[in-house]
Amino acid sequence: MKIYAIFVYAFLYLPIALVIFFSFNAGNYALDFQGFSTRWYAKALTNPFIMDALWFSVKVAALSAVMSTVFGTMAALALQRLSGWKRTFYDALIYVSIMVPGIVIAIATLIALVTVFKFLNPFLEVLAPLFDGQAPKLSLGFVSLVAAHSLFTMSLVVVIVRARLSGMDRTLIEASEDLYASPFRTFVQVTLPQLMPGILAAFLLSFTFSFDDFIISFFVAGPNTTLPVYIFSSIRRGITPEVNVIGTVVLVGSLILLFSAQFLSTMGKGKKRSASKDDSDDS
Amino acid sequence: MDTSVKTKAERRRKWTTAMLLAPATLWYAVLLLLPLVTIVIFSFGERGPAGGYIPAFTFDNYLNLPTRSKAFFNTMTLAPLGTLACLLIAYPLAYYLAIVANKKYKTLLLVLVIVPFWTSLLVRTYAWIFILGGQGLPKLLAFIGFEGVRMINTPGAVLIGIIYIYLPLMVFPIYVSLEKLDTRLLEASSDLGASPLRTFFQVTLPLSIPGLATGSMMVFILLMGEFIIPQMLGGGKVYFIGNALVDVFLQSRNWPFGAAFAVSLVLIMLVTITVYMRYMSKLAGGRDDVSVM
Amino acid sequence: MTNKDNKSITETEFMNELYRYKKGSVSRRHFMQVTGLSTAMAVVAGSAPAMFAGSAFAAEDLGNRLNFATWPNYMDENNIAAFTEATGVHVNVSVFGSNEEMLAKLQAGGTGWDVFVPTNYTISTYADLGLIQEIDLSRIPNFSKEHNDPVFTEQGIYNGKVYTVPKDWGTTGYVINTAHTRSDMTSWKEFWDSAMNEYSSRAIVHDYQLTAIGNALKYFGYSFNSVDPAELADAEKLMIEVKPHLFAVTSDYQPGMRSGDAWLSMCWTGDAVQLQRDIPTMAYVLGKEGGEIWSDFYAIPTGAPNLAAAYAFLNFMQDPEVNAREGIAHGYPLIDSRAIDLLPEDLKNNPILYPAAELLSALEFGAAVSLTNPDRAELMARFKAA
Repeated sequence: MKIYAIFVYAFLYLPIALVIFFSFNAGNYALDFQGFSTRWYAKALTNPFIMDALWFSVKVAALSAVMSTVFGTMAALALQRLSGWKRTFYDALIYVSIMVPGIVIAIATLIALVTVFKFLNPFLEVLAPLFDGQAPKLSLGFVSLVAAHSLFTMSLVVVIVRARLSGMDRTLIEASEDLYASPFRTFVQVTLPQLMPGILAAFLLSFTFSFDDFIISFFVAGPNTTLPVYIFSSIRRGITPEVNVIGTVVLVGSLILLFSAQFLSTMGKGKKRSASKDDSDDS
Repeated sequence: MDTSVKTKAERRRKWTTAMLLAPATLWYAVLLLLPLVTIVIFSFGERGPAGGYIPAFTFDNYLNLPTRSKAFFNTMTLAPLGTLACLLIAYPLAYYLAIVANKKYKTLLLVLVIVPFWTSLLVRTYAWIFILGGQGLPKLLAFIGFEGVRMINTPGAVLIGIIYIYLPLMVFPIYVSLEKLDTRLLEASSDLGASPLRTFFQVTLPLSIPGLATGSMMVFILLMGEFIIPQMLGGGKVYFIGNALVDVFLQSRNWPFGAAFAVSLVLIMLVTITVYMRYMSKLAGGRDDVSVM
Repeated sequence: MTNKDNKSITETEFMNELYRYKKGSVSRRHFMQVTGLSTAMAVVAGSAPAMFAGSAFAAEDLGNRLNFATWPNYMDENNIAAFTEATGVHVNVSVFGSNEEMLAKLQAGGTGWDVFVPTNYTISTYADLGLIQEIDLSRIPNFSKEHNDPVFTEQGIYNGKVYTVPKDWGTTGYVINTAHTRSDMTSWKEFWDSAMNEYSSRAIVHDYQLTAIGNALKYFGYSFNSVDPAELADAEKLMIEVKPHLFAVTSDYQPGMRSGDAWLSMCWTGDAVQLQRDIPTMAYVLGKEGGEIWSDFYAIPTGAPNLAAAYAFLNFMQDPEVNAREGIAHGYPLIDSRAIDLLPEDLKNNPILYPAAELLSALEFGAAVSLTNPDRAELMARFKAA
């Protein structure tokens, strides 16, 4: 059993080890090792397009994760109170949005938005005088990408938070109500703390999904480049070790974030269990 | 007076519910229903002279789908196969982590399963191009006497990529359901003289079905829309519905046909997943906590 | 190369240095010093302000970003670096596999590209769809009309309007690695036949309808540009038959050829030159039945966000020295005779770049109809899905 586990871990880490190894390649072709060098690090980290793409990806992932976490949690709370056909309707929406593959979301959103924009932009022309002759023009970009990412992640949040809600201790809420706490106060002081691990896990999951998504960004990001789109393009350009550098840096960066978050939470709260564990606890 | 307070509270409650749901409703309307309706409409249209879409009403796009039967075939064999392979490889690992492994290292071992997720999927898949390419494993194999083995750009290569990328997604839910398992049950079972194998099939396995169902569902959903892995490890030879879809948009610029593709993919998934969930919840003994996640 | 220093080096020495540099065994600085490129770069960089001062956009702010869409292995990275050094404009290069894909991206809108590299047969469609801008040649003082061969430049002019500036031209043949294949291959018939027989699982076909279908049409002796349904049906039958025997369907075939996985591949001039530089057993074959001759251009899409930078870039690329360095790096024949004069002899006399007249005369330029023809698009998609 142990040997089996070691074998699986080796399988998981062999490619990552290769990625890191080749990031120190001195040669020009990623997979043709010519000697040890950190020159590609210097090159990648000063390449403004990589930095642009990284920053853009972080912004998109952060905003879409925040939005989907807030809206998803709100929806989960509301759905608890719904019943009958309304409940069925929303359940169906959540079900469908999780099940529709990213590639369909990407293409359908692209078509729909391009069509809507084509329809709306002539009307916006009318506003041109108000904007120094430059009519505002709807086009694909940051907003459309954040929106498209948060659709899927919002449904994930609803499912995770709802699972937590159903496993929650109702007696506390009732006690709080008996003590004449306002519903809002009850929510902030009783419900929210109990939901927090689930919400955090959902946030993390949303962020990771958005940050690593390629296909939706490829179609919906318009002129902007996310990090995965940049990597995809470099892979076609004939790969230099630069791509490996990006992979390594992202890995190390997220590990640092992960461990510092873990460290802070153990420092702060003491013996809370790791968020990632809690998230799936109720599935 | 008492009743008026109650209806007021009731109204307020309704209003709060509506407000809480408002953003989600807007999202679903604009980003799910509108796009889905659009592609359904487009799927009956015609391709413009230079590509794009012209309004029309024709079933030609759907009738043309059989010309891509290979893509459907590849997806619908490799997606379930990949899911199954992930499951078979993930289960023992999850079992090891949940029941066998030393408690001290458990968290570390678990974290190690998710860490790969934080390296770009594209970069990890790219690493496999090297491993499976002529300078990688085949060269090693040639060294020990197996000449001329070709791995890259084969269905096998795509399958390896699939297992590699989605394994962690499968390990986690199974681990969670196994961890909740009361080990006293296992002890009781063996105390009653059940063989380990029997204990496994009669106690452990049934109790882990929720996790197993969740994991395979997630992997299966992602695989049905897969694009990157066949694109990179299939070399244009192992073709999924996702690749066909992208091609229809980027090469033939035939939006209506692409829309028909997308609609049929969604339909296939709706049917398979609904059937699968019914079956799984029956397996889990009519418990309804086998949800999508 | 021009080398005004006293110790000039010969062309072969230059190429040797270049290969050594490419393989990474010499540092960039060493390479630059030995070859005199650093002088050239310094001249370019030093004269850049002057170069731009004389032009109409001297006062314009170039910004610091330029999005450039091009093809794989198609430029000298050092030129890009020199441009950034001279102007402060960083260049983001994205790479595409086919003109069809570029068209799809432009049609969907919002590419954000400032400059891209279309092939001759696409220009009229782009112009008709309003996807590219007319070029203001007065903003590109480095361009010299009389030094560019009209055979190629005219391909970029449509309805009397100039939409492009020339980049280079080339042919579409196939590359074979004679370490594994026989070396007497001469025709497209042999390419397709061997791909499904003795070289099964070793051949690469472009992921690009124009050349994949065009060269299959050539198997039967039809026109490269045919849209005749019966002829296309023949081509499709051949392609579908060969498909299971292919190593890959991709336009980025250098990695497969370099790793030894693939032995033969449809190939453009420059890739053959680049491959042969590193692996001498590579040979380039132009099918004796004919095939494609093409020219590529720089063009500016409508609504390019960094127009000033785009013109600065075009002007920079038209500088003969810069253009010559491009030619050395990518290995395609140039169009500007001023730049050709600066090329090393072995490149000027390379039969891969300049094939025998009888082979050239059999070639055809791609036709606009091939780009938009729905049957060809559909055929390609069926081939890929097969």
